Amino acid sequence: MRKVENGSKMKNFFSNIGYFFKETILMIRLSLSSNILSFLSTSLIFFILAMVLTGWWISSGVTRAIQGEAEISAYFGRNVDQNGALKLVESIKAIKGVKSARLVDDKEALSDMQKILGKESEILKVFDENPFTSYIEVNIELDSVDGILGELKNLPGIDSVRDNRDVLDRIRSISSLFMFIGWLVLAAAAITTLVIISHIIRLAIQDNREQINTLKLLGAPGAFISFPFVLQGLLMTLGGGILASLLASFVLGQIYARISGPLPFIPLPPAASIINAMFTVIITASAALGIVGSMLGLPSSENR
Amino acid sequence: MINAENVSLRYPDGTEALRDINLGIGSGELVYITGRSGSGKTSLLKLLMGMELPTGGSLTVLGQKVEKGRSSGIRQLRLRIGPVFQEFRLIDGRSAFDNVLLGMRFLDAPGKQMREAAQEALEIVGLAHKISSRVENLSWGERQRVAIARAVARKPSLILADEPTGNLDRENATNILGILNSFRNKETSVVITTHATHLIDPSLDAALITMDEGNLRCERSKTGAK
Repeated sequence: MRKVENGSKMKNFFSNIGYFFKETILMIRLSLSSNILSFLSTSLIFFILAMVLTGWWISSGVTRAIQGEAEISAYFGRNVDQNGALKLVESIKAIKGVKSARLVDDKEALSDMQKILGKESEILKVFDENPFTSYIEVNIELDSVDGILGELKNLPGIDSVRDNRDVLDRIRSISSLFMFIGWLVLAAAAITTLVIISHIIRLAIQDNREQINTLKLLGAPGAFISFPFVLQGLLMTLGGGILASLLASFVLGQIYARISGPLPFIPLPPAASIINAMFTVIITASAALGIVGSMLGLPSSENR
Repeated sequence: MINAENVSLRYPDGTEALRDINLGIGSGELVYITGRSGSGKTSLLKLLMGMELPTGGSLTVLGQKVEKGRSSGIRQLRLRIGPVFQEFRLIDGRSAFDNVLLGMRFLDAPGKQMREAAQEALEIVGLAHKISSRVENLSWGERQRVAIARAVARKPSLILADEPTGNLDRENATNILGILNSFRNKETSVVITTHATHLIDPSLDAALITMDEGNLRCERSKTGAK
């Protein structure tokens, strides 16, 4: 038989693509029920991974957003008049780590709260007069928060200082927890997927060992014999990854709809960017794990 | 084409399958290896295909040494051999055409040329009308003809047939041997093992090798002279 020109092996490979897919589909059909169960298992694993990853990213995004708006409210005594307050503002601006400082009068404070509360702002009408007082809004560099707080408290005229460190610390700890669980689930998903896929490939090799032996006797190269098995692992995990991503994006959409309506002040990162990132990571991870899992299962063909 | 010097084969369980085999087969020869069951015919063919490796002596097939540590060379050797097995070794669930084509897919030949060769081989063995039939739906004789088509479509330098008539009735067996004989030409040698010596056409210009308990009893006798 006439050989093709040098460098045309790739062309030969592509001309066999149809054969490889046909073989892979035949192998999947040969053990349909176990393949369906494995597919559903990998889908579930990737779904859990997708949810944990998105939880991690959202909490990190919220932390970053809150950190970016790090500010301290400094309240002064009633004996401090407008001029005194403006002098305090200038003194605060001189503190190291303070990015800006401005006087917020009681009317603006009321207006801000009305904006935050939205429809719930009706509750403020129970007060006969404005319950809010003037204060100084101080934008800071978060790293300098301890030093700034110390200096503010010692500044004559300043009664009290309120910062959002507690909230930040809580969100930070939630984010760390998600990150820890994320790595844990990522490792668990990787190991479980590798075990499932390599096992499925071993079974497929067992089912097709006569064919493999015949191909070996005909002189088929290892890559030609192995490729349908690698393709099987890849298709199963990739399918599982796609199903998991679709399901996770639906669930994420529902969660966003429930949170962003009643709790508009939580600075959630845009849903679209989270979903895009989740799709990218899950699809890439599923493809990579499918190929590696198949590779792990392949050596069993050498022993038969 | 084939050169064996003092070749022996001992299986891991200690069975001595072949002892001091000396054999030379040239290009374009038709060779029958005969002998009773267990005489070593199949073991010799396994050595020629690289399915087993000699435990003693030296064996060269198509210029390739058959010995340990030459797996890549043995794979290259197999690409030049057209094997026909007693148990056919066809792939169920595929058509006769797909089975023949499967034997060529990794030969780096153009796809069109492979498909034409597969079609032509099936026509030669008389199965043009069964080209799309699944092999499991074919008769035993037809399956063996598909296996022969798979072997010859590759245009091999050496056809090795191990008891190709073992599972067939007399009429089909004679037919199969006739087909195999017809592929012998200047470039292609044909080696056939069979215990059914009565089926060998005495008018053929073929060499007859008889084996007994792992030894070559008679290295060569012209079948036509019998």
